[in-house]
Amino acid sequence: MNPLLEQFLSETRESLQGIGEKLMQLENEPESAELMTELFRFVHTLKGNSGLFDFPELTRVLHAGEDLMDAVRDGKAAYCLPMADLLLDAMDYVGMLCDEIENDGVYAAAHAGDSVRLAETLRRMIGAPADAPGAAGAVSPSAADPGPSAEVRSLLSGIPERIRMDAYRAQTSGGLHCLVYSPVQDCFFQGDDPFFQARRTPGIVWGGIAAREAWPELAEMDAYNCVLDFHVLSEAPAEELKEYYRYVFEQLQMTTISPRCLILPQGDPNGGPVYEDFVGDALGLLRGGDIDALRRAARSMLELSSRELWFSSALRWLLLATEVEPENGVVLEAIITSLRTLAAPEWHVLAAAAGPQSPAATGVCAAKECAVQEGAVQESAAKESAAKESAVGEAGLLREETGAAIRAIVDVQREILSLPDEVAWIAGRVKAAAASLEGCLRSSGSLDALPGLRLAAESSVALLSAAPLLAWVEEYAEEMAAAPPSSPNAAPNAASNAAPNAASEAAPNATPATCQAEAPAAREPSAEAKPSPAAAAAPQPESEVKFGRRVEDVYAAAKSIKVDQVKIDRLMNLIGEMVVAKNALPYLAGRAESVFGVPEFSREIKAQYAVINRIAEEMQDSIMQVRMMPVSFVFQRFPRLVRDTSNKLGKEVNLVLEGEETEADKNIIESLGDPLVHIVRNSLDHGIESPEARIAAGKPAAGTLVIRASQEAGRVVIEIRDDGKGIDPAVIKRKAYEKGLIDEDRLERITDPEAVNLVFASGFSTAEAVSDLSGRGVGMDVVKTAIEKVNGTVHLESEKGKGTRIRISLPLSMAVTNVMIVESNRQIFGVPMDAVVETVRVPRAAIKTIKKSMATVLRGRIVPLKALNTLLGLAAQQRANEEDELAVLVVNVGDQQLGILVDDFHETVDIILKPMTGVLAGLAAYAGSALLGDGSVLMVLNVKEVL
Amino acid sequence: MKRVLIVDDAATVRMYYRLILEEAGYLVVEAVNGVEAMEKSLRESFDLYIVDINMPKQDGYGFLRELRGRDELRQAPALMVSTEAADHDRKRAYAAGANLYLVKPVKPQELLVNCRLLLGEVRP
Amino acid sequence: MAIVYTKNKAVFSDAAGAEEAETLLEWLGKHPKGKIDLGACVHLHPANLQVMMAAGCLVTVRSSDQDLAAWIDSALKTI
Repeated sequence: MNPLLEQFLSETRESLQGIGEKLMQLENEPESAELMTELFRFVHTLKGNSGLFDFPELTRVLHAGEDLMDAVRDGKAAYCLPMADLLLDAMDYVGMLCDEIENDGVYAAAHAGDSVRLAETLRRMIGAPADAPGAAGAVSPSAADPGPSAEVRSLLSGIPERIRMDAYRAQTSGGLHCLVYSPVQDCFFQGDDPFFQARRTPGIVWGGIAAREAWPELAEMDAYNCVLDFHVLSEAPAEELKEYYRYVFEQLQMTTISPRCLILPQGDPNGGPVYEDFVGDALGLLRGGDIDALRRAARSMLELSSRELWFSSALRWLLLATEVEPENGVVLEAIITSLRTLAAPEWHVLAAAAGPQSPAATGVCAAKECAVQEGAVQESAAKESAAKESAVGEAGLLREETGAAIRAIVDVQREILSLPDEVAWIAGRVKAAAASLEGCLRSSGSLDALPGLRLAAESSVALLSAAPLLAWVEEYAEEMAAAPPSSPNAAPNAASNAAPNAASEAAPNATPATCQAEAPAAREPSAEAKPSPAAAAAPQPESEVKFGRRVEDVYAAAKSIKVDQVKIDRLMNLIGEMVVAKNALPYLAGRAESVFGVPEFSREIKAQYAVINRIAEEMQDSIMQVRMMPVSFVFQRFPRLVRDTSNKLGKEVNLVLEGEETEADKNIIESLGDPLVHIVRNSLDHGIESPEARIAAGKPAAGTLVIRASQEAGRVVIEIRDDGKGIDPAVIKRKAYEKGLIDEDRLERITDPEAVNLVFASGFSTAEAVSDLSGRGVGMDVVKTAIEKVNGTVHLESEKGKGTRIRISLPLSMAVTNVMIVESNRQIFGVPMDAVVETVRVPRAAIKTIKKSMATVLRGRIVPLKALNTLLGLAAQQRANEEDELAVLVVNVGDQQLGILVDDFHETVDIILKPMTGVLAGLAAYAGSALLGDGSVLMVLNVKEVL
Repeated sequence: MKRVLIVDDAATVRMYYRLILEEAGYLVVEAVNGVEAMEKSLRESFDLYIVDINMPKQDGYGFLRELRGRDELRQAPALMVSTEAADHDRKRAYAAGANLYLVKPVKPQELLVNCRLLLGEVRP
Repeated sequence: MAIVYTKNKAVFSDAAGAEEAETLLEWLGKHPKGKIDLGACVHLHPANLQVMMAAGCLVTVRSSDQDLAAWIDSALKTI
């Protein structure tokens, strides 16, 4: 990817981030002009940047966004929540396109429709008319337009005409969705507010309420037996609606309809002028392709008819249809014919025929295609002429271009000098204009005119008046127009101006690559085959440039640099090797003394070793620092996530983020993302109650969710705390027992704090658990697994009715692992110190065998024992020492302690753990390998997997 | 070597100009707003300014007005670049001290031709 | 309380919760011609709504929340 595009994508990401943050802040202080200005600038910058590339969809959406922000800034539109939603959507869209550009260099053409829709919706917020409605949207209806049911039709006819017209005008590409949401009768008892949910439906265009049954006598009425249906028309995509209604999906009936189904004329069928003649005339105009005349006729007919008539309503629809889809003859014809029958067109019947292939539509479409082709021909002609120009010689093109440009610059200086003199910076203005004019004179080779110019400029500066210089410019301009100066390249030849303009016009936006090294290739005559227009039309600077290139620029030195992670990983590996290599020195010192018998030399080696050791440690530390990232990297997505989710769920949540500056290794931070999102979602879904339920429970309506990061004893601790309804340990216990996760014995002994942590047990969460339990448990085992993968732990505390607190503890870095070396069967193995509880020697007699399993008693507790040789499939027996004691490494596995029998213990070392790769990656028993100081390889056990 | 000061808050735009201008053999210096541009202008001299309008701290108009008001400085030509194409925007730029006004996005050739002309560098 | 009752009018403000429906039903039982003022109402729990629909209530003041007003239009008549 070329560096400019890379820069663009990275700046875009930053800006999107900034926009998101500003929008969040605006929700708290919607009146802040300062925030609004910053927001505007972000969008403005993005739009400006996107213009440098050929990404029209990006530019379109950003342009609409900029206009909207501008309107808000100027007080023409009021900032509101839906606007923020819309802007966030638009920015998500921009982000999505950027992702595609980053991955594939381009984005899918299919996004064009979305960009039109987004831009229109943004513009509608301003209140300004959307540009060219329907122009880029889908023209033809989907082939299989299902006929809406009678129920849906009656629902649609209940929507006011004005709203239907707006929705039809929007021509939502994915179609519209009719929702009938019938909440269950006892839903009020569950604290639900289906009305609130319906009101918050995404993309809602209209909503209505109807009773499912006839009303009983008031005296017999049960206020809490829900008998209401909620009807919604939405332009959001089906997936989004399904997601929004996912908890009540079985209570929802969703029908996708074409926007055309909204064309339902309504009103009094009687009275009005003679329809028959109009229908005949209108059909004639339509078939003749004269849409403008058709519109005029319809408009004057409408003026003659009373508003309330069915006929008038149909005319209004006809006018709208000619505006929205003028090419679609079938649709227009159907509306016109309906004027005769006074029955709404049967759109689903017509749908199959209403495609662009149908006879009536073909005429219009063909004409349009023709125009498009003509345009293409013109364009390619222009390109050809551009190519020809460049073949004729860049000098020629340059000359013409230059002539026009010089004239333009001179004209502007004249305009500048004609401005009123009464400004403080008049001297500067005159000097700058003189400098500009001097540049033009030099460029055109008219060096003779220079003294005159300088003289005029000096007197202007002395008099603090532009007049003398202005007089000179006017004289010079006249000369220039009358007789082209001797130098040929100064001739502002008016007739030839068109050519270079056409050339640059034909060129779409310059792709940045052409400014760089690839330019010579693009200069070939075949340039028009590939759209690298700047090269085709632009004179290449190298030809005349005699200066050195790419000078360094000390002034713009940045304070931070962006480095590919691969490079840092390489540094990390190198320092790992360094640490190992350095550890060879003490061995060498030992040998110098014992083998070669030179103790002084040994001492010197040791002294040197101390120095190298210090440097290596500092280096290691520095590299680790480079890899450190603040947790804000993960936290920053939560304001948006919490806002969107709580809005969807109709809950009120205050999010509090603390300790965002806490740092940890990049890998750790990244591994934190998904588990945290999971936990936060769970908390919002199941933890925090609806405002009504909270008030009923005597809590504030808005729940509080705190996410706090801190450093504790060399670990990062993340705490997620909510004041929701908490988890009922009794329910968890029962559930865990039913699922066979705990036996009867444990069920009786398990404490409540232990019980709530069962939600992390794998196999605990199932669909059933979600619907039955008030608590969490949705895939919490996934969270636990992800966190344990990076040597973290997770712990949950909950008090029923009060809230839940989840504590995640993670190592600061994964790079260095402290392991204990143990020996077994004459091999050495590493065991991570995190897992080791203690090392003890147990007399063989103290080891009891119970049903083939070994165990011993340590400080009154029974500890099960396993022999490492057996675990690893080695045939040898574990060896005891002289006193016939066996070495037992007590380790923590989950919340249990277990003893591993080994042959002997050795020292603990800090190692750089490298994960197993290739075919070895499948060996779950090993966490990885590491090099030791003497060059040997240490295999590090994955304790959990071995057992 | 001619020195050009680019004043724009968008890093992408600065890089775009830089690539074009360095390729053409100019020395390019960047500033992200009017304040920084003024600091740099006082410290060293430039042969041309390319100035954006909408920037934080001090916008392009403010910077140009201040620049033109500094009598001790050599007044080099300034090219103002903006997304606005309206006539009053143009006029405002000229009144503030710009010598040419180009509408974004500026094509490489358009930028280069005008820079060379303002710098008196086009040779037969 | 989000509903204040006058002689023949129920005046809503803010959001009327489910718990208000009981009282509203009672009141409507005693004032079958009771009118509804939704001017300052931003949301009401559907329990309240269906009680009013069953009683065939008339709205005298529409909600100033345009979104809510449009919904209510489909359910209750406005004088």
